[in-house]
Amino acid sequence: MLQNKANPTINKSTGLPRKRFYRARAHSNPLSDSHFPVPLSPSHVDYSLHYPRLFPSSDRSDGSKKIEFADIGCGFGGLLISLSTLFPETLMIGMELRDKVTEYVKERILGLRVANPGQYQNVSVVRTNSMKYIPNYFEKGQLSKMFFLFPDPHFKEKNHRRRVISPHLLDEYAYVLKVGGIIYTITDVEELGEWMKSCLQNHLMFEPLSETELDADPVVKLLSTATEEGQKVARNGGQTFQAVYRRIKPASQENS
Amino acid sequence: MEGAQMEDFRIEECENDNNTHEDSQMEESEQNNKHVEVAPALISVHPTRNSVAVAVGSDLRVFNLLEDCAVILVDEAGGASHNDSIRGIKYGANGKLFVSAGDDKLVKVWSTESWRCIATVCSEKRVSAVAISNDGLHVCFADKFGVVWVVDLPGVDETQAPLNKKAVPLLAHYCSIITSLEFSPDGHFIVSADRDFKIRVTVFPKKPLDGAHEVQSFCLGHTEFVSCLAFICTPDSPQGILVSGGGDSTVSIKNA
Repeated sequence: MLQNKANPTINKSTGLPRKRFYRARAHSNPLSDSHFPVPLSPSHVDYSLHYPRLFPSSDRSDGSKKIEFADIGCGFGGLLISLSTLFPETLMIGMELRDKVTEYVKERILGLRVANPGQYQNVSVVRTNSMKYIPNYFEKGQLSKMFFLFPDPHFKEKNHRRRVISPHLLDEYAYVLKVGGIIYTITDVEELGEWMKSCLQNHLMFEPLSETELDADPVVKLLSTATEEGQKVARNGGQTFQAVYRRIKPASQENS
Repeated sequence: MEGAQMEDFRIEECENDNNTHEDSQMEESEQNNKHVEVAPALISVHPTRNSVAVAVGSDLRVFNLLEDCAVILVDEAGGASHNDSIRGIKYGANGKLFVSAGDDKLVKVWSTESWRCIATVCSEKRVSAVAISNDGLHVCFADKFGVVWVVDLPGVDETQAPLNKKAVPLLAHYCSIITSLEFSPDGHFIVSADRDFKIRVTVFPKKPLDGAHEVQSFCLGHTEFVSCLAFICTPDSPQGILVSGGGDSTVSIKNA
């Protein structure tokens, strides 16, 4: 990482990375085979790399804590940072495809850990293609929350299959989510909002949360306020469309 | 059942065995025309050893082992069988059906008694793997984009004209070429392996045409593409053991 005295990439007073040095295009091609390491299986995920304070060594015992929240396409990490202090006992991770943006989030977390001793030890980020490798990171029924905030709309119909929420990918998300786990989606693109909602509504492993449940969940408010994207939408007076669903056990099930 | 066990094992051996006449011919021509890509020769044996089928390029040849003579395939739609390289051939577990498919995007279902093509399904993309459900009611095929399709064959009558059926998507491996498709011996699961080192075990539902959304497990551990799958039944494991092999030169064995 370039450290230029005149223009430090890290702000000297806050210890946090300066966004201008981590600019990246909003779009990234999820179909290209980028070269980043992928864990062979969920038991190969190195927790000591992500949560050094909580996992001094990479050996994990069977009963030890596992990641429960996953922010898919976490961007600059706004949501994760908010969730980290809201749920200090829960391990969470962001997944991001863009290299520069992942670096930014890494630096941001490191800076926050230094500035706030004891805090932000439960949050981390990893550069990966979540559409291909989610089963490599999480075991069956491991997650209790999954987030898809302002995903790439892929407007053209021929590109719809690249959308991160699709009937086929929901099979995989249902697999890593525990029964009762919640999937949160939000977008400012109405058509995408309709699409995500209908994919979830039609999938037999998901049911919508009721209005009362949505009001009671502190996380729901964060969807539109905690992220840079959400704040931008609010600044421009835009509308957001959210779909929050619970992972259920389908009616006709012999095996859990 | 004894016979079926042996056949499964032998199929795996033979696919890599270069002793058949056709194979050595293929190898010679491969050496002469290195720039021409030739599809690997395929072999499949009837569950009770009535016949054996071999696919060489676009040529499908069946040999009747009981009567010790070659079989003449009848396809009312015209043409010998396929117009382009065959990529997948398989007998159904109940021995009544046989399926062949490949680069010509046609999936042909044959009766193993009359060797008439009783149904042809058009695929949008080139087909990379095929499987028939144990009860012979459904045929599944996978295309080069990682989608596994299913078509139903409701007690097809041989005297009818060959059906042209439309397939629906069953499940998908995101943007990954599926290399092998197999049904578990008890018919509860369909197993799909792909080029991105993954094996997915999915519950085969009572209504497959609605899609197979319940992932039972992912078998991870291969470090290269998975090229073949087979189930072996032993007295100790009546549900079957899944055996997989791939580009990392390992054979992996998993219990149901």
